[in-house]
Amino acid sequence: MARDLGELNREDFARYKDDVKKEGKPFFPRAIFHDTVMSLVVVGIIVALAAIWYYDAGDTPEGEGLEPGILGPWYTEPADPATTNFVPRPDWYFYFLFYLLRIFKWPETVFIATVGIPTICLILLIGLPFYDRRRERRPLHRPVAMVAAVLTILSMAVLTWKGATAKEALGSELVLLVPSWAEEQGFVGNEEAEKGAKLFAESGCLNCHTYLGQGAGNLGAPDLSEVGATNDAAYFVQYLTNPAAYGNTVMGSYSYLGAENLAALGEFLAASKGTSGG
Amino acid sequence: MAAKSKKDLLVENAILAPLDWVDERTAAVRGTKWFLFRNVPRDISWAQTLGSAALTAFIVMAVTGVILAMYYEPSATIDPVSGKSVAYTSIESITNELTLGWLVRGMHRWGASVFIILLFLHMGRVFLFGAYKYPRELTWITGVLILAMGMLMGFTGYLLPWDQTAYWATVVGINLNGTAPFAGPWLAQFLAGGPEIGSDALAKFYALHMLAIPGALIALIGVHIYLVTRLGVSSPPWSGEAAGRERPAVEPAGARAGLVRGSGGGD
Ligand code: HEC
Ligand code: HEM
Repeated sequence: MARDLGELNREDFARYKDDVKKEGKPFFPRAIFHDTVMSLVVVGIIVALAAIWYYDAGDTPEGEGLEPGILGPWYTEPADPATTNFVPRPDWYFYFLFYLLRIFKWPETVFIATVGIPTICLILLIGLPFYDRRRERRPLHRPVAMVAAVLTILSMAVLTWKGATAKEALGSELVLLVPSWAEEQGFVGNEEAEKGAKLFAESGCLNCHTYLGQGAGNLGAPDLSEVGATNDAAYFVQYLTNPAAYGNTVMGSYSYLGAENLAALGEFLAASKGTSGG
Repeated sequence: MAAKSKKDLLVENAILAPLDWVDERTAAVRGTKWFLFRNVPRDISWAQTLGSAALTAFIVMAVTGVILAMYYEPSATIDPVSGKSVAYTSIESITNELTLGWLVRGMHRWGASVFIILLFLHMGRVFLFGAYKYPRELTWITGVLILAMGMLMGFTGYLLPWDQTAYWATVVGINLNGTAPFAGPWLAQFLAGGPEIGSDALAKFYALHMLAIPGALIALIGVHIYLVTRLGVSSPPWSGEAAGRERPAVEPAGARAGLVRGSGGGD
């Protein structure tokens, strides 16, 4: 007589409750003892991390605690929207997402990394008890589940590691490239364009865009090496003032840079006609 | 046991009577007994402490968070004295000036990472034990939601020091939201609170981080622990003395099942 899954499940659980009642140990104090020891260890680890973080950070001329120890500085410099001399970096448990973005860097695919994969993971996790309906619980008798788990852990680990070690150039290093850009693009001596190039290096544009082989190629931002071939400086000024008006919801407005700086950026972009075009 | 001693009477009047009074109206005492004085499988051990360890980490976060909230000011306005934003200045003074402020801030900061790691470890042990299967499906689902909320806590808290790391990571984060279809651009607009990420965004992140998400988390944790208590913790499935293990069929399977059904009792 074949019995259905629900019936077998309920039988298992009834047997479980029976066993716990007859041969179990009291939660208080037996299990609570283990819990308490573990909790004390956890609090100890948290306090230790806090102390290492605090005492290992050093001082710099700009302020106390800005020199990172092994657990990083107390804080970095005050937020400054204007000078992105700075690599955007989320907390470590978002590194996998951060790295996915670099894999799916073409505009049409960004969506896969930012929303698609996390949503699928969440649905797979929530749905787990509903598509894995076998009664078997012993790991060695659940080969598919175990292989899936190992693959998940491995890919998360690799993505997190890659995200942690991914290198982005800092604005201060990029600025050193401005002369070589001027040479390649042929705007040497055009002061306005050179000033724009500096701003371009410092304002974090290369956290998303690429330019002559530099930059991140993130979030679907196009390569700008030849962007000057398509539009003029006035257009770029308008574009940077309000990217959303051009259907670009990813890039924020750069109007805070001020008209003068925007004009320089526009000049630089217009002068970037690519190495082949001349 | 004819006459009660004076001491017994005192205990009865001062402690037991008020407890009874409360219990009659709330069942709080019965509930506590139900939670504490129950049996768990005798073969559970350290792997099953990860859930309560996560709870401890969460409590650490809540306590240190409340203290931080007493001194932190979520404003990106420039402080005329220090020349830095008010938020950044308040974080500086918590770290440098407040007695043991560094410890509170450090514990909150590193507690977050420990909490997330414990969630993953706990989830891993539940997965390994197959403990998400009948009847613990909803325990698992509340757990997944807790994990998602925990990560949102990390995302919203990261901005608050209003330093360069915080600011630029959040700019990228908000832009990520912007790439989602339908609600994406709207959500990004809402979070940023304007063309530039400033005080508006900071206030929103703060409200989410210290009010909305923790509220949801506390509710979810409550349901989670209620379910764990009601359904019991499962034994390691490989254990020879696992609660609910299949017994060798001494008698015909049907008879055995009937017997267990009969003696199961309870709910
Ligand atoms: C957060 C990421 C991001 C940052 C930072 C960013 N951009 Fe963009 N930008 C984009 C994306 C994405 C597009 C493409 C939008 C589209 O295709 O609609 C784009 C498009 C452009 C375009 C139009 C390209 C074309 O082919 O018409 C220009 C010009 C531009 N960006 C310049 C800049 C400059 C200059 C900066 C720095 C001041 C900058 N961007 C910073 C993401 C970014
Ligand atoms: C704040 C976060 C959490 C707290 C405080 C918490 C607490 C607990 C506690 C105390 C237990 C008892 C057994 C044990 O400790 O292993 C438990 C069991 C359980 N937890 Fe969690 N948990 C949390 C997050 C999660 C997550 C992220 C998941 C999975 C996605 C999850 C799924 C489960 C399941 C299915 C059980 C039942 C296990 C069994 O009966 O063997 N929990 N939880």
